[in-house]
Amino acid sequence: MPEPTGVIHDIGYQRYTGPRLGRRPVFGALYLHGVRTAFGLGRSAKAKIFPWLVVGIVLMVAVAATAMRAQFGQVVMTYAQFADAMSWLVIFFVAVVAPELVSRDLRSGVLPLYFSRPLPRSDYPVAKLLALVTALWLLLGAPQLLMFLGAAFTLDGLGAVWDELLDLLPGLLYAGMWAVIFASVGLLIASLTGKRAFAAGGIVAVFLMTTPIVGTLSILPSQTANQLAGVASPPTLVQGVGIWTMRDLLITDPDGVAPDLGPYGPVYGLVAVALVAACVALLLARYRKVAAR
Amino acid sequence: MSTVSWITARGLFGRRRFLLLLPLPVLLVALAVLSRALGVPPTDWGPPVLVGLGLAVVLPVVALIVGTGVLGAEIDDGTVVHVLTTPLPRWQIVLPKLAVAAGVTAATVVVPLFAAGLLADSVRLGLALAGAAAAGALAYSALFLAASLLTRRPVLLGLVYVLIWEGLLGNVITGTRVLSIQHYVIAVADRLAPTNLLETTVSVPLAVTMTVLVSVGFTLLAVDRLRSFSVAGETS
Repeated sequence: MPEPTGVIHDIGYQRYTGPRLGRRPVFGALYLHGVRTAFGLGRSAKAKIFPWLVVGIVLMVAVAATAMRAQFGQVVMTYAQFADAMSWLVIFFVAVVAPELVSRDLRSGVLPLYFSRPLPRSDYPVAKLLALVTALWLLLGAPQLLMFLGAAFTLDGLGAVWDELLDLLPGLLYAGMWAVIFASVGLLIASLTGKRAFAAGGIVAVFLMTTPIVGTLSILPSQTANQLAGVASPPTLVQGVGIWTMRDLLITDPDGVAPDLGPYGPVYGLVAVALVAACVALLLARYRKVAAR
Repeated sequence: MSTVSWITARGLFGRRRFLLLLPLPVLLVALAVLSRALGVPPTDWGPPVLVGLGLAVVLPVVALIVGTGVLGAEIDDGTVVHVLTTPLPRWQIVLPKLAVAAGVTAATVVVPLFAAGLLADSVRLGLALAGAAAAGALAYSALFLAASLLTRRPVLLGLVYVLIWEGLLGNVITGTRVLSIQHYVIAVADRLAPTNLLETTVSVPLAVTMTVLVSVGFTLLAVDRLRSFSVAGETS
């Protein structure tokens, strides 16, 4: 019998002895990765086409509005009105980004890997939701900042610039409201399916099919129904909350057609809060179920 | 019924998610019934329900989900290889799939549109809307079927067309309506049953010609693309 010739080589395997990061860095990494995914950063050029198409159109509109104001002194739209004017693009952006954030992980079955880290079940969806909110807020906020800079360099005197800044801040806040509502609804729908194509179609279907409900409710022969019509659809719901809280910034044309809320302004606020809360609760419930598998 | 169309139909109906398509048509009928029952004049509720919901949302969105689903879903999960390796000419794969997509879309959309048109005005308007929508379903299906062969993200490309081209630009720059299937459908329906509910700037001969051109052109394009189709793995 020959002598055994096998040798065990020491090829330098070592244990990890560095610091082990806990829950918060995991959350931070998920969030940052989510924001980068939203804009396709760190991905192939193909993943950048659709997000940056939307960003490009939005910035182009802002540049056009700034140029009109600088050349003709005519304010095309206020900062708050900007978000309303871009509503279809916001829907499209959510349809592009939300499936990218959650559907891929569902489809490729990597969630057990995430949950084997020191990461509570609820942190994963919350990090993704915050990432989507941030991305949407950047999408709506950056053009407003551009418009502000354009205005600040054409206006005379610091006082005028200060007034302009006071107009910008509610506009950014309003963009934040858009971001929160659209992100929570969109992410909930996207988390229901692992197929990105179906998730995108579903998001668009839900957002678009609710708009005509508002159109129909607002022509019914009942004043209460007319004034409450806006709550039926996310874009008009946000608009209603905006009109309730910052009326002068959204309605600049006194003769124009504006949604009449009557005494129901607070109802819009309540429904908006309830909608976000319900979506987040359902999202958390959904991930409890997914994580249990 | 060929095997390809049988497989395609089963792929569409075999999953529960097809039920997700039902709320859209049901909502269309529900809104029409509600408005009619409460005595709102049709000139008020007709445009938002018939055009705003029916022709601008239900028809393109259903066509998009179904049209990209018949071939795009198979490309996505790689099972298209099984069909491609059979000795079938490519047109015998594309045409049955197109027929199923257009048929399912038309069936989903035509019934509620007929009901809404009937409630809004007359049987004639209902039939006109149904006929025009069926033609539109064929054109949209051909477009989205070709889109699922041109790109790996057909739904997003389709959404760019539906939301940005037809939705945003069509209302701002009326010239872009010349290339909008939605306005072909409106023009044809308005010609078949003249009412004051439907309005467009596109002429009827142009609409008819373009609908035929879009349907035939994109079908030929799809056949041609499938001829040199390369199966690639999932990329980002």
